[in-house]
Amino acid sequence: MNPGKILLVEDNPDDVALTLRALKSHNITNDVIVAQDGVEAIDYLFGTKAQPAPRDLPAVVLLDLKLPKINGMEVLQRIRSEERTKLLPVVILTSSDEERDVIDGYSLGANSYVRKPVDFVEFTKAAQQLGLYWLLMNRAAPPPRAS
Amino acid sequence: MALRDWPIKRKLTALLLLTSGLVLLLTSAAFVTYQVVTFRQTMRDNLSTRARLLAANSTASLAFANDADATEVLSALKSDPHMVAAALYDQNGHVFATYRADPAADIPATPQPDGYRFERGRLIGFAPVAQQENARLGTLYLASDTEAVSDALRLSGIIALAVLAIALLAAYALAAALQGRISAPVLVLAQTAAAVSEHQDYSVRAPKLGDDELGKLTDAFNQMLGRIEEQKQELQQYATELEQRVAERTRELEQSNEALRRNAAELAASNDELDAFAYSVSHDLRAPLRSIDGFSQVLLEDFAAQLGDAGRDSLQRVRAASQRMATLIDDLLKLARVARAEFRIERVDLSTLAREIVSDIQRATPDRHVDFAITPGLEAQGDSRLLRVVLDNLLRNGWKYTGRQLAPRVEFTAEDKNGGRVFLIRDNGAGFDMQYVDKLFGVFQRLHSAAEFEGTGVGLATVRRIISRHGGRIWAESAVDQGATFYFTL
Amino acid sequence: MAFLITVLASAQLLVQTPRASEHHVKAVFLFNFAQFVEWPAANTQDMRAPLIIGILGDDPFGSILDEIVRGERIGARPFEVRRYRQVADIEACNLVFISRSEVARIPQILEALRNRPILTVSEGNDFAKQGGMIQFVNDKNRIRLRVNLEAAQAVNLTISSKLLRVAEIVRPARR
Repeated sequence: MNPGKILLVEDNPDDVALTLRALKSHNITNDVIVAQDGVEAIDYLFGTKAQPAPRDLPAVVLLDLKLPKINGMEVLQRIRSEERTKLLPVVILTSSDEERDVIDGYSLGANSYVRKPVDFVEFTKAAQQLGLYWLLMNRAAPPPRAS
Repeated sequence: MALRDWPIKRKLTALLLLTSGLVLLLTSAAFVTYQVVTFRQTMRDNLSTRARLLAANSTASLAFANDADATEVLSALKSDPHMVAAALYDQNGHVFATYRADPAADIPATPQPDGYRFERGRLIGFAPVAQQENARLGTLYLASDTEAVSDALRLSGIIALAVLAIALLAAYALAAALQGRISAPVLVLAQTAAAVSEHQDYSVRAPKLGDDELGKLTDAFNQMLGRIEEQKQELQQYATELEQRVAERTRELEQSNEALRRNAAELAASNDELDAFAYSVSHDLRAPLRSIDGFSQVLLEDFAAQLGDAGRDSLQRVRAASQRMATLIDDLLKLARVARAEFRIERVDLSTLAREIVSDIQRATPDRHVDFAITPGLEAQGDSRLLRVVLDNLLRNGWKYTGRQLAPRVEFTAEDKNGGRVFLIRDNGAGFDMQYVDKLFGVFQRLHSAAEFEGTGVGLATVRRIISRHGGRIWAESAVDQGATFYFTL
Repeated sequence: MAFLITVLASAQLLVQTPRASEHHVKAVFLFNFAQFVEWPAANTQDMRAPLIIGILGDDPFGSILDEIVRGERIGARPFEVRRYRQVADIEACNLVFISRSEVARIPQILEALRNRPILTVSEGNDFAKQGGMIQFVNDKNRIRLRVNLEAAQAVNLTISSKLLRVAEIVRPARR
């Protein structure tokens, strides 16, 4: 199993719990970093005075769009604008089915867009598929050389 | 300058001059002619008289063959410079005595018959010489030149010309003075007309000078001007009224524009609100549902033993209900989207669209086999995404309601009815009671219970919304257990 | 023979012509005198009474005078030619031509005709002086007239001034 981490950017604790459960139920045991809003996500990725950025980037970022403070699109924008995280796989995982969001997401450089099903069974299936794909099948870009 | 372009003054003057000139000319000519004629006559008379006198004086000379005396008598003619020649002939026609003003003047050798005539520039005459009415003693011949006539003619001519000239001058003066009578009103009229047309001043009136045709013309002209003025005023009035009305109308228009703008703004605002609404619905309404469903499932999975059948059943219902709610939200969202979606008209291949939808359905539910008959080459003008929604709904409905059929069949084709193209989707499924056909397209209206067929009751409302936006119509025919046919036009 | 006759005839003509033409002229003159002389009207009968030209003595005119006056009139008066041998024979006469044959007896004739309104004409040389009214004068082949006006006036004969103009007026010799 890829030791890569999953960065889950999600503000809804229920959804967090359910997502973690879904992943666990399919034996995806990778570390899951949870950021509960956009700021936390960015702080994590790029580091702060208190907590420096991690050496390894996550293997995939599961990004919800509707976030307090900074919303998902801005986070995505930020991720794509930094040299460090430019090629980081980002999967938009959101309830919204709005075309606008889909277009904007891809425009800003998301790698994938998945709508969260209400049906939990479906949800866990989706989680499994995502995990399998992004952690196993997908080959992420090599980390950038240390500057 | 052509005659017709002459100014009236000149025309009139010329006319008067011409007329008077002609009259004078004719008169002068007549006068001169008369003069000449009478003069000639006078000349003849004079000659005749003279001849008689001479003849009377010559009788004795002839009677008594005294040619000396005869010559002397004739020589008295010397006093008249116009007498050219004279001769006396005796009874035998021989020349008896002669007189010649000019020695070269010729005298006839023999006398001709009595009488006077003008011959070769001369007046000649032969008169009998006789003592009273007695036997003719001889003949007297006289010849005078016609200088007198010429002189008289010349004199007459000069006088006539002089008179003509003076008279013409007088005529000219008179004409120049009097032509004003005619031309003045005309000129005044012309000037007035020019002034009017130049300054567009219709309050000017031409003065009426006299009650003749020109006066009438002036009257008519002035009337016309008066009427034009009236009409002008009327027009101005109308124009002012019109302006007022236009201003009012403009104001009204502006007001309605304002209202429209406000409405549009409000509409835009509403749309934005709707967008925001839909957006939040997408997120905010579904998330709790997910939690409900999710944790219900968690309960079912982790606490299956503790729950018991009833508990599990309840949780299943909870899950079912939340999923249903999600579907409902999705359908409502779709309906809302349809209402405000961009509408782009293009040529849409309906058959291909239908085939894609059908293959989606079949892929999703491979275990159910439904016979989809799609007529190829069905096309329409419309928004492809919205039409996709329509076909998706109708085909899925067909698929859904034939669930209990042994040989389920859904057909998508088109007919030409009443001069228009009508598309139809026909299934051989459960059908519905035509009695409730009105409710078919209502939101949340269903003609079947959830136990029979699941559904939110929003689909057909959405379809109708879309069809309306295309300017078309949709209706359905059915009979219970005999399938249903949905017709629509675009 | 013919030639001879012709010669003789022309010779006669030659001989006779001057004289014949002179008398012709005089005859014409006599005829013309009637136009230029007014006789005193005795009575109305004179209006139509013939105007008588008399020849006293030998007639030198032959038929000439007769032919000249034939058919002619003065006014309404026709002409008549009479021949007299003696002056006593003259009864009604307006104009008398005293021929040369009577030359010697002119004074007696004139005396006999005195107070009678008869125009006396002759060829004698002193006829006018002798009291004759009109005298023929040969002047260079022309016949001139010599008029004794008083003689005519004495018997109330008016001679037209026209005639007088072409004539020579003489005074009679005082006796």
